[in-house]
Amino acid sequence: MKLGKIELGFTGPNMIPMIDIVFQLVMFFMIAITFENSKADERVKLPLDVLAIPREVKPEHELVLNFGFQRDKHGHKINSVPTVFYNDRDFEVGELTRVLDAEKRALEETQGRDVIEKVTVKIRTDSEVANGLVQQLIKKCQDSGFTKVTVVDRGRKGLE
Amino acid sequence: MKFANSTEPTKIVIPMAPMINVIFLLLIFSMLSMKIVSPEANFNINLPVSAPSHARPHASPHDIKVGLESDRDGNLTQLTLGGTNLGNDEAAFDRLNKELLLLIGRPGHPQTKDIEVEIDADYECQYQYVAKAVSLCTGKLDPQTQQGARYVEKIKFAPPHRPKS
Repeated sequence: MKLGKIELGFTGPNMIPMIDIVFQLVMFFMIAITFENSKADERVKLPLDVLAIPREVKPEHELVLNFGFQRDKHGHKINSVPTVFYNDRDFEVGELTRVLDAEKRALEETQGRDVIEKVTVKIRTDSEVANGLVQQLIKKCQDSGFTKVTVVDRGRKGLE
Repeated sequence: MKFANSTEPTKIVIPMAPMINVIFLLLIFSMLSMKIVSPEANFNINLPVSAPSHARPHASPHDIKVGLESDRDGNLTQLTLGGTNLGNDEAAFDRLNKELLLLIGRPGHPQTKDIEVEIDADYECQYQYVAKAVSLCTGKLDPQTQQGARYVEKIKFAPPHRPKS
């Protein structure tokens, strides 16, 4: 009786599904990191502006303050007094001095005394917040030693 | 004579798993490349400083003052340009843009670099109106070409007003 030829040899594991899974995981973490870095608060509804220029280079040190209203799940305002959302807590503008001072001390202890000059405070202001309160918030930041303050809008395209 | 039954159709199984994997990868790639969150942007505005030493003693003849008056709820009641009332509706902002263009003459001209616009808004005025006024002072976006023309480089805020009691 003649038997068919049996090929002997090492058959390696199928790598394709593993590579697929690794790609998926890499992309998942890329997305997760992108969302983490934005520090945006969905309660703050920024005013739309087509002429504001998106930043090309992200500042080395950035402190993001979200300034808006407490809203329900439908987006309606719960409280008429706007608050600053920072580190999962809400502060009124008047209370912010101690928060900014504590942040400044922490930054100076970890990064050196000169770091404050390099920190940019990015204020994300809700479109319905009173202008006077926005200016008050800017002044609080400047009084605490943060000289670089920027107020951002929802931009669409920069000027050519 | 007996022939082998070679004409019977054979079922070809197409492996679907690699195709689904590739589609998933393409989908995630396009999700990543798409900008889900619209970009946030800012203007080059001289924010009010607490130290008065930075303030200029006299206003330049080139300075233009844009005023925003509002009611207690923050709704815009009057938009002014150098004392001229432009109204309080959407058209008022368009008028501001056009009047400003008449004042500066040619956008991008070296002389326009010295012009500074001061935004003087009421305490209660909603920030969206201030942002819109700032935007329309800085320039205009052509709706067809989507190209922007810059009118004024320097914009500053006037010292804050007291709230209406």
